[in-house]
Amino acid sequence: MKVSTMTGEAKTHAIDIASMQRDQRTLNLADETMALEVKDLRLSYGTKEALHGIDMLIPKHRVTAFIGPSGCGKSTLLRCFNRMNDLVDGCNITGQILLEGDNIYDRNVDIADLRRRVGMVFQKPNPFPKSIYENVAYGLRIQGINKKRVLDETVEWALRSSALWDEVKDRLHESALGMSGGQQQRLVIARTIAVKPEVLLLDEPASALDPISTLKIEELIHELKKDFTIVIVTHNMQQAARVSDYTAFMYMGDLIEFGDTDSLFTNPNKKQTEDYITGRYG
Amino acid sequence: MEFKGDYSSHISQQFNDELEQIRTLLLTMGGIVESQVNDAVEALLTGNTNLAEQSRKADTQTNEMEKLIDEQIATTIARRQPAASDLRLIISVSKAVTSLERMGDEASRICRHAIELNEAGQSPRGYQEIRHIGNLVREMVKNVLTAFARNDTELAYTVAKMDKSVDQEYRSAMRSLMTFMMEDPRSISSVMNVIWVLRSLERMGDHARSMAQQLIYMVSGTDVRHTSLKTLKQAAVQNAEAEDDEEDA
Repeated sequence: MKVSTMTGEAKTHAIDIASMQRDQRTLNLADETMALEVKDLRLSYGTKEALHGIDMLIPKHRVTAFIGPSGCGKSTLLRCFNRMNDLVDGCNITGQILLEGDNIYDRNVDIADLRRRVGMVFQKPNPFPKSIYENVAYGLRIQGINKKRVLDETVEWALRSSALWDEVKDRLHESALGMSGGQQQRLVIARTIAVKPEVLLLDEPASALDPISTLKIEELIHELKKDFTIVIVTHNMQQAARVSDYTAFMYMGDLIEFGDTDSLFTNPNKKQTEDYITGRYG
Repeated sequence: MEFKGDYSSHISQQFNDELEQIRTLLLTMGGIVESQVNDAVEALLTGNTNLAEQSRKADTQTNEMEKLIDEQIATTIARRQPAASDLRLIISVSKAVTSLERMGDEASRICRHAIELNEAGQSPRGYQEIRHIGNLVREMVKNVLTAFARNDTELAYTVAKMDKSVDQEYRSAMRSLMTFMMEDPRSISSVMNVIWVLRSLERMGDHARSMAQQLIYMVSGTDVRHTSLKTLKQAAVQNAEAEDDEEDA
């Protein structure tokens, strides 16, 4: 680009438009490393099939959002990633989910270890009736880590990572139940990441929070994806559009469309997706 | 996914109304601009100063419409956070409105030159070119508005194609008027007015083409700006074919 200056000489600005375009270009699933691979996953509660053969890839160090109407199976699928559905009576699962290449539904998988590697945060904050410090240190203590120095360091790191440190550093030994809802939710996230999981599952993490706390959680998600793979279920489509890199739209137990969030929200491929995200009758 | 122009099936009836309203306003504004363009060309060719004045006054309406539509668009974005085809509708209309407003400005410019030429009472040199290019441009404006009204991408493609002919005609008119001015330097001032008019018409053609591209983006989701006519045709026709397939099925 040439811009003539006051003196009349032409000054050339080195503007690298190609690289700006590259930065802005939507993500490409083919370029990603995968954290989770879902292969023909079928799940039924008793005789009722809730997931009809899901195949999908969850890219590493990205935020993947699941959207869809109530009862479409998005939470069910999320809970499959750390085998939470094992606890449900009459729940039958076939197919595979590979975490770093290993099927998590293998017989010899240690479920406690799986849940350390794949952490989960729920809609309602559920801190333990203990101090803030003990909440975050809980997972480490269970693993048998009791060295004060290690615990102190990890607790501080986890609280800083969840953008809570400055708010609570002077009252670490007070009860966690005295915190606000938004703080409690961030504390729960700190507790989950303290054990350094690979994947973080968030089931409607902000739906019980006010708009400011919601924004803090969303900002946190953006920060955390540098270190963790994040999968989030949300009813709030704008939230999915804001926080996620990839979006999966589910409907009645099927994965209808999965793609990068920018494309899905500007030009979806399927009519069902279009109808859902624009708020039309299904 | 291509879109068939259904803005009435949102769960929120208010959202339906808002989008319909935006579309209606755009077409209303289009109607004003279309008559501005027709009147401007007519006023020039028939030497009708009154009509020229009248057409210039209409530009105030066009400007007001632009502000009104932009306001409506800003409100809808703020309140509804439109996505997918709704989002593309909003973006395209917003840009089409800018194009329309500029067409209105060009029409006013033509009127100004019409008045000047009329007052000077010069021989109508170059009027044949104006008539010819003017007709092409009027056709383009009419078609692009029809295309918007019907979400017709194929018609939008013909508009873009017509712009090529306008550009060609414009260049050849320039050449002949240039020769004429060299032969008869006394005619320069009046011929310059004719040249400005042709220039305005040519710009209007560009704006109409730009609107056609916006429509294709709105319906098909493919950005066809700064691409070849071939690419544009692909996006436009593919879309129309997909529509046919669906009807067959």
